[in-house]
Amino acid sequence: MSHTLAMEWQKLRPFGKTSRTVALTIGLAVSVSAIVAAAMAANAKHMTVADRASFDSIGISLQGVNAAVLAIAAFGVLSMTREYSTGMISVTFLAQPRRLRVLAAKLLTHSTVAGIAGLGACLAAFVVGQVLLGTVGLDNGWSSAHLPGALAGGVVYLLLLCAWGVALGALLRTSAAAISWMASLLVVAPVIVQILPPSVVHRVERWLPSQIGSGAMSAHSDPHLFTPWAGLLVLGGYVVLTLVAAGWRMARTDP
Amino acid sequence: MIEVRQLTKRYGPQTVVNDLSFGVQPGRVTGFLGPNGSGKTTTARMILGLTEPDEGSATVNGRTYRELRRPICEIGALINAGAVMPSKTAIDHLRWLAAANGINRRRADEALGMVGLEAVAGRKVGGFSLGMKQRLGIAAALIGDPPVLIFDEPINGLDPEGIRWIRQFMQELATQGRTVFVSSHLMSEMALTASELVVIGQGRLIAAESVEAFTARADSSVRLRSPQLEEIVVALAIEGASLWRNGDALEIVGFSIEQIGALCARVGAIVYELSPQRASLEDAFMQLTATVCEYVPTSRGAAA
Repeated sequence: MSHTLAMEWQKLRPFGKTSRTVALTIGLAVSVSAIVAAAMAANAKHMTVADRASFDSIGISLQGVNAAVLAIAAFGVLSMTREYSTGMISVTFLAQPRRLRVLAAKLLTHSTVAGIAGLGACLAAFVVGQVLLGTVGLDNGWSSAHLPGALAGGVVYLLLLCAWGVALGALLRTSAAAISWMASLLVVAPVIVQILPPSVVHRVERWLPSQIGSGAMSAHSDPHLFTPWAGLLVLGGYVVLTLVAAGWRMARTDP
Repeated sequence: MIEVRQLTKRYGPQTVVNDLSFGVQPGRVTGFLGPNGSGKTTTARMILGLTEPDEGSATVNGRTYRELRRPICEIGALINAGAVMPSKTAIDHLRWLAAANGINRRRADEALGMVGLEAVAGRKVGGFSLGMKQRLGIAAALIGDPPVLIFDEPINGLDPEGIRWIRQFMQELATQGRTVFVSSHLMSEMALTASELVVIGQGRLIAAESVEAFTARADSSVRLRSPQLEEIVVALAIEGASLWRNGDALEIVGFSIEQIGALCARVGAIVYELSPQRASLEDAFMQLTATVCEYVPTSRGAAA
């Protein structure tokens, strides 16, 4: 297994390209968080005392993670689909004929990168968000007891989405199919769900990956959503199911 | 060495490889010959564990590919030269391969040197010509210094200089005692490169023998030109010779030049040319794969 890990790690090198992924993830998180926080700060003068009391300073600061997740998921997807589309996967299987080990090594190495990028993205987005919200005194995130949980939730959310990307890429093998599915689940599904009658929305919404992510990064609990860690567990379940399907197809169907 | 036993692969109703058995010995270049679509690549992929056979087995040094601990140190393969990430540099492509089997990083530079690509080590593979990609693929096959090598259509996309290089290179690898198994649909190329042949057609084994033995299988004929062909045809037909007309000449099978010369003298015919026609590897291949009768019977009928 150590050789397989070394192979996948070496494929990520030279780190120029990989560090661009990390930079893109952090950049997306910071810029979207900054826009949302700035918009909130601009509206602060219209807020009532009650509004201020219930203001989710952490959740708003981490809004950018919802954009960063697209970069991380694509990073995971492309790790597999680029090998299948170029045919390089057969060279990989020549070097390591045990295909499930290749999948495991991909998962581990890419999750490591996603973990670093995720931590950077969550921290940077939070700091930038708090600074901007601080201009109107809404930077109470620093002192919140929810802070460590929300940051950890954000990192785990990004990690899981990277793993899900690897699994979807291994299952579908083409970039177009895997990215379309990923984007549909993360971006399109939440929009479609909103069209449904409210009673249905409340039952369906909690199962959406994007809602699970937002829930994990929020200081507030929504009775219609899973609790942060239960939600991430559900998301982990999706990842495991997809991985099982991907592993089955990888072992059974030749490249 | 490579051993293939009763290998069979079906895709839907089509049997691509059919009960194929042969062995490939070390120390010489063995050509794997067959028309396009005859199952060469599928067979190579089954030897390399990339395609699961429906029946039978293929082993490298006594073990199936998936049982090999460090596979690219035991068997090197070039299957598809285009199977590289275009954004990677040549050296990076070889480095990850080296890492995959715990091979020293320096081997990556050495392998590039062996195929003459050291000058472009740092260039992205996406900008490589097909010939350069072939060379990189060969470097990848050699990185683990394996005793067994499989090259699938290695001369595709190479220029004449490159073809000559690869021909000598493969012979050199065989001289070092390695098993070299090279597939091609170009018979003339195999005649120059290989000493042993495995010939398949429609997934079945046609022959597994030396190039000489295979060429000898094709009927060698005698060519005869004469202004008095009609008299000679009659005389030969009485003797029971197989013959057919080829332009203004006769092609005769089953009689030696001496016998035919004596016969011509007996009927008093003038002879312009009487020459042995050596069958080429290509002729042997055509005769054994296609149905020979396609061009023979009509002219035989005309001659009789």
